[in-house]
Amino acid sequence: MAATYASAGAARPAHAARGGMSDRAFAWALIAPAMAIILVFALVPLGYAVMVSFRMADLTRGGLREFVGLDNYRTVLFDQSFWESIAVTLKFTVAAVGLEMVLGIAIAFLLHGATHGKTIVRSILILPLATAPAVTGLFWRNLYDPQFGVINWLLGSLGLPEPNWLGDISIALWSVVLFDVWQWTPFVALIALAGLSSLPREPFEAAELDGASTWRVLRVLTFPMLAPVLFLVLILRTIDSLRLYDAVAVLTRGGPGTVTETMTFYLFRTGLKLFRMDYASTMAIFFLYALLVASVFALRPLLRQFTERAQAQN
Amino acid sequence: MIRSALLGGVAAACLVTPALACEDADRVPLTWSTIAGFYTDAMADLVAGFEASHCAKINIVNIDNSQLYNKQVIEMVGATGAYDIVTLETSEKADFAENGFILPMTDYLADKQELVNDVAPVLATMTTRYNGDIWGLPYYTYTAGFIYRADLFEDAGEKEAFKAKYGYDLAVPTDWQQHRDIAEFFTRKAGETLKGETLAKDFYGVGLMAGPFPEIQDELSGPIWGAGADWLDDEGNVQTAAVEKALTDYIELLKFAPPAALTVTYDGVMNQMKDGQIAMTHGFFLDQWPNAATTEESVPGARMGVAEAPGKKAYIGGFLLAVAESSAHPEEAMDFVAYIGGPEAQKKFAAAGGTTTLTSVLNDPELTAPENRAKTGHFGTLRQIFQSMDGFQSNLFSTPYGAKIYNTMQIPLQSAAAGQITAAEAATRLTDEVAKICGGPCPIAKDGD
Repeated sequence: MAATYASAGAARPAHAARGGMSDRAFAWALIAPAMAIILVFALVPLGYAVMVSFRMADLTRGGLREFVGLDNYRTVLFDQSFWESIAVTLKFTVAAVGLEMVLGIAIAFLLHGATHGKTIVRSILILPLATAPAVTGLFWRNLYDPQFGVINWLLGSLGLPEPNWLGDISIALWSVVLFDVWQWTPFVALIALAGLSSLPREPFEAAELDGASTWRVLRVLTFPMLAPVLFLVLILRTIDSLRLYDAVAVLTRGGPGTVTETMTFYLFRTGLKLFRMDYASTMAIFFLYALLVASVFALRPLLRQFTERAQAQN
Repeated sequence: MIRSALLGGVAAACLVTPALACEDADRVPLTWSTIAGFYTDAMADLVAGFEASHCAKINIVNIDNSQLYNKQVIEMVGATGAYDIVTLETSEKADFAENGFILPMTDYLADKQELVNDVAPVLATMTTRYNGDIWGLPYYTYTAGFIYRADLFEDAGEKEAFKAKYGYDLAVPTDWQQHRDIAEFFTRKAGETLKGETLAKDFYGVGLMAGPFPEIQDELSGPIWGAGADWLDDEGNVQTAAVEKALTDYIELLKFAPPAALTVTYDGVMNQMKDGQIAMTHGFFLDQWPNAATTEESVPGARMGVAEAPGKKAYIGGFLLAVAESSAHPEEAMDFVAYIGGPEAQKKFAAAGGTTTLTSVLNDPELTAPENRAKTGHFGTLRQIFQSMDGFQSNLFSTPYGAKIYNTMQIPLQSAAAGQITAAEAATRLTDEVAKICGGPCPIAKDGD
C-alpha cells in the first residue's frame, strides 16, 4: 500500500498538490510565518531602537522627546565608561572563549578515545548547560565567598593564600571567566565530540596504513575535517560571550568598581537604572553593528564552503 | 488638588467605617509592590487585618530590592495601573513626586495630624515631604546607628591596653577618629589574643559594606553629614572636597575590615558579626539589631551594644508607602497606606521584629521592656538619633534626580574603595556623573519641609 501511495504522489506534478502554487510561491508561504515572527519580535523593536537613538528619551523626564540628530552617537562615542565596558567585554571574550575552545576540544578528544564511561561523562557534561545561569551564578558566588566559601576553605586547609575572588580588582574578571569556562566548556566538548564521531573512518585508516604520525593525522586530517564544526562553535560562543550579562549580574554586579562591567551590563545600567533609553539604544545599535560586521567576516569562509558543497551536489 | 481633596474626603469617610461584611467578589483589589524579604513577610498578618476591616483584597508583589525601583518606574511611566501602592526608598521620593507617578496625600492626611505628627520629624522630612506636600507614610525605617560588641568594649584587659596605646578610654566612639582608632586596635591576627583568649582566626576591627551596592554611600553619608557637608550643596553641585575627604578616611578604614568587605552589603556584615569576625560596624542600619543580637547566641561570651553613630549623624532611611497616580482605587489605597503606617499595624509590626517609624511605638513600654531586648533593644537609640538629627535635611533627597544619583554614586565610590581609582578621582568622577545626570547643577526643592 505504501508503495502505491508513493508512486501515486510521485506521478502527480508537485504544484498540483499545492493547489497550483508555483515553487517560488510555495517557498514564500513556508517561510512567511517565521518571517512574520522575526519581523514582529526582532525587526520592529530594532527599528524602534534606531528611532529612539535619534531622539531625546529619558523615561522619567517625559519619555520620547525631540529629534536630536547624532547627539546621542556623539555622547556615546565620547563616553569613557562605554569604552571601558567594551574593553572588559573583549578581554572577557578572548579569555573565556579561548579557554573553552582549548579545553572543550581536549575533552572531546579524550572522550572520543575512551572505551568506558563515555555515556556517564557525557551526561555529567550536560549538567552545567542545563542549569540556569542565575542559579549556577549564585552557587559560584557562594563558592567564591572569601569567608564562608568552599574554595578558600580548601586553599586555607592546604596552607595556600585565600584570594578575594570577586572583591580583588586584579582577579575579579578572571573569576567570572572561570565561571563561564566551567559552564560552557562542556558545550564545546559535546559539539566537538559529535563532530569527531561523525568523521569518516576511511581517510584515517589509509593514513594509518601509510604510517602517518599522530601529529600529522591531526594536522592534515582531523582538524581540517573538523574545522567547520569548530568554527561554528567558536562563532556561537563568541557571540554569546559578547552578550554576557547574567553571570556579571549575579556574581559581581559589575564590580569591584567597574572591573567586570561588560557592555551589556553598562547598557542595562544606563537604560534601566538611569532610564536614558536614548543612550542605551545608541549603545545597542553600536553593539549590533559591530556584531553584524564581525559575524559577516567570520562567517564568510563557512558560507562559501556551504555554497561550494551545494553547487557540487547539484 | 481638587481631585486630592475629593479623594481625601471619600477616603476619610471610608476609614471611619467599622469592620465590613462584604462578599469576596465585592472586594476592591489593591496591588502593593514591595521588597521581598522580612519587610514584607512580617506584613502578611497586618494585611489580613486591613482586609478584615475594609472591603479590599491586597495582592502583594514581592520584588528583589535591586529591581524594585526599575520595575516600579516602568509601570508608572506606562501608567499601567499594575501597582496601586508602591514602596520607595528615601532617595526615590522626589523623583516619583516630581514626575507625577504618585499622588500627594496632604489632603487625605489633613484630619489625621496625630498620625502625621507621630512619625519622627526628621524621618518624615526625609522620607515623606517634597515641594510642600506629604507623599505617603513610611512603614519601616533602616536609619543608621552603631552596633558593637559591648563585651569587648567593656573588657578590663582590652580597656587597659587601649588606654595605654591611644591615651584615652575605650568607649563607644563619639567621632570618626575614635572609630578609626578602635577599628585599628581590635584588628588582630590569628594567634594573637582577644579578651585574653588566643584567636583561632583573624579578627577585624570593623565590618564595612564596601561591596557593589548602594549601601557604601549610606555609610559615607554619616561622615559627610557629620562634617557639616552634604552630597550636594544648595546649588545642586557635588561637594567634591567633602566626598574626597570622607572617602579617603573610609579607604583607610578598609585596612581594618575583613577582605570580604569589598563584596558584601549589610547581610554580609551581619554574618561577619555573628561569626565572631568583627568588633563593630560603621554607620549601620539599626533595623538589623534583631539579627545582630543573635551574635550573643552564636559567639560565646558576646554581648551586643547599640548606640548613635559617631558624630551623631547617620543615614536616615525608610520605605515610603505611596499611592500610584495610575491606581484605579486611590482612596482605598490611601486607606491602606494609613493603616500600615498607623499605630495599630506598626505596633504589631514592631512586636514581630520590624523597626517602626512611629514615635509612640518606639516609646511603647510594653514593647521596650527588657524581655523584648532582642527585638526592640535598638528603639531607645533610634529615639536619640531622631532627636539628634531633628531639623536635618539632605539635598540628595530634595532633588528629583536623587534616585538616579543614588543608583550611580556607588560606582565611583566602590571603584575607589577597591583601589581601581583614587579617592580624588572618584570624587571628581562622581561630580561629573551627577552633572551629567542633572544636565548641570541639580535642582533642589527649597520648600521640602
